[in-house]
Amino acid sequence: MLGELATLNSLSIRFTKFKALLESPTVDLDMLRKLSWNGIPEEIRHLVWKLLMGYLPANSARRDATLARKRSEYEDYVQQTFGKGVETLDQGLYHQIHIDVQRTNPSIPLYQHPRIQQALERVLYCWAIRRPASGYVQGINDLLTPFFQVFLAASVTPNIRDVETMAVDAIPPAVLVEVEADSFWCLGKLLDGIQDNYTAAQPGIQRQITRLQELIHRIDAPLHAHLVAENVQFLQFAFRWMNCLLMREISLRRIIRMWDTYLAEGDLGFSEFHLYVCAAFLVKWSDRLREMEFQEILMFLQSLPTAGWEEKDIELLLAEAFMWQSLFHDSPNHLTQSTTQPPN
Amino acid sequence: MAQGNEDPVYHYLFKVVLVGDASVGKSNLLSRFTRDEFNIDSRSTIGVEFATRSIEVDNKIIKAQIWDTAGQERYRAITSAYYRGAVGALLVYDISNYATFEKVSKWLAELKDHADQNIVVMLVGNKSDLRHLRAVPTEEAMAFGAKHSLSFIETSALDCTNVEKAFQKTLTEIYRIVSSRALETENSAKKVVAGGQAIVVGPTNTDTENKVDKSRCC
Repeated sequence: MLGELATLNSLSIRFTKFKALLESPTVDLDMLRKLSWNGIPEEIRHLVWKLLMGYLPANSARRDATLARKRSEYEDYVQQTFGKGVETLDQGLYHQIHIDVQRTNPSIPLYQHPRIQQALERVLYCWAIRRPASGYVQGINDLLTPFFQVFLAASVTPNIRDVETMAVDAIPPAVLVEVEADSFWCLGKLLDGIQDNYTAAQPGIQRQITRLQELIHRIDAPLHAHLVAENVQFLQFAFRWMNCLLMREISLRRIIRMWDTYLAEGDLGFSEFHLYVCAAFLVKWSDRLREMEFQEILMFLQSLPTAGWEEKDIELLLAEAFMWQSLFHDSPNHLTQSTTQPPN
Repeated sequence: MAQGNEDPVYHYLFKVVLVGDASVGKSNLLSRFTRDEFNIDSRSTIGVEFATRSIEVDNKIIKAQIWDTAGQERYRAITSAYYRGAVGALLVYDISNYATFEKVSKWLAELKDHADQNIVVMLVGNKSDLRHLRAVPTEEAMAFGAKHSLSFIETSALDCTNVEKAFQKTLTEIYRIVSSRALETENSAKKVVAGGQAIVVGPTNTDTENKVDKSRCC
């Protein structure tokens, strides 16, 4: 009872702090980042995400105009692209997006509704034709959904859980259009920061995987040695971790909490900090993995037992990642030592 | 190290890859064959996924190590690494989507480029349950298979038709080739290393029979 009260109390103090920050004419983004690191209250998450993504200006007087402009710009894109019917689209690209949207978050009812699926298709298609260097890559559909769900929840119900099962037909068209537009711009900003994850041969991911292996070599040598002895290549499991930012490993609602911290980490949240999260994530299973042989390891890593994870599990993971980052990030020597003896 | 410890013993370990366009049903063919499961709403495969199953041919246990690959073009650079050491491939298209059949030649060329020269390839027309939506005539696919010396089968991972047979046939064919080759050379196993993982494509010595000796792999 007392514990609950204390929790409620601290939540309300946090909420008040956020409120105070957000109500100032120009939001102090550094402070906002600091505060967001430990999680953002649901009621204001949409606003904080948009500010931290740099989609909304810190100056509150300029916000409405910016939003209106961005939303109308997106509406123009949609009109230009889809106005003449889907037959006029690049059929290869459209087909790939279409089949992937159909199988996005299959366990969440919201994403099974044709209205929602069409909205996601429009965002992904409009984005893909504007980024010819990468284009649409499977998995980007996953990355769109945290934005979409947070922004939609903000407009129709303050709760990211309830929105998953809501009556989609009840969403006013004007609301959906805005959610779609905001998601489009925020997805774009996110992907611009990790673009080389998705260009030819996906060099960003290859580099991340190499670094992950070096990190594991440093922070959990026995695990690293075991994986090497069992001929397990990091590419075999970590590719997906990088390509979908762990969205295939951790439930969408937990990912949304994780992104509070990624956004709070600034420009490198989805690349640099994510790397340390992956390291902390792998090390979490170290005891079990070290008991396993090749086949078991791969099967285990393909479907990790994270279904029961709660917010506190995510927060522990983030704290561990932060610790590894503090230890290694500014100490390149920690890593160069391992490169003289390249792991595997 | 002790590959044989928890596994049922096996005489042969064959690496097989599943290739083909996105959404033709590769992952469901794999889950049907290895776990007898079909998932109506499976997500797209990212990178590669892995599963195994053992079958018996001529009283020998054959363990198939099957790698399911992502179908999208952009993943080629990553997934082609998994062709190395593969001795079998199921090249899958969707009988209700002609575009996926048109891409078969491309996939075949890719296999020839990256996999073993003698890889056994089976052309698989999946989703045969979608009769009313058929876009690829059986005869056309059969003719293509004959022309390129591929065996050919139509399957449905959804209703189970021919899934077992497709894998059985492929694995049996690999086994025939490998065992006859072994007779010719009359000597020990030929081994291929695939991405560090030893793939044994020949019988083990009699004294190590029932156990694959990984340390002898090159």
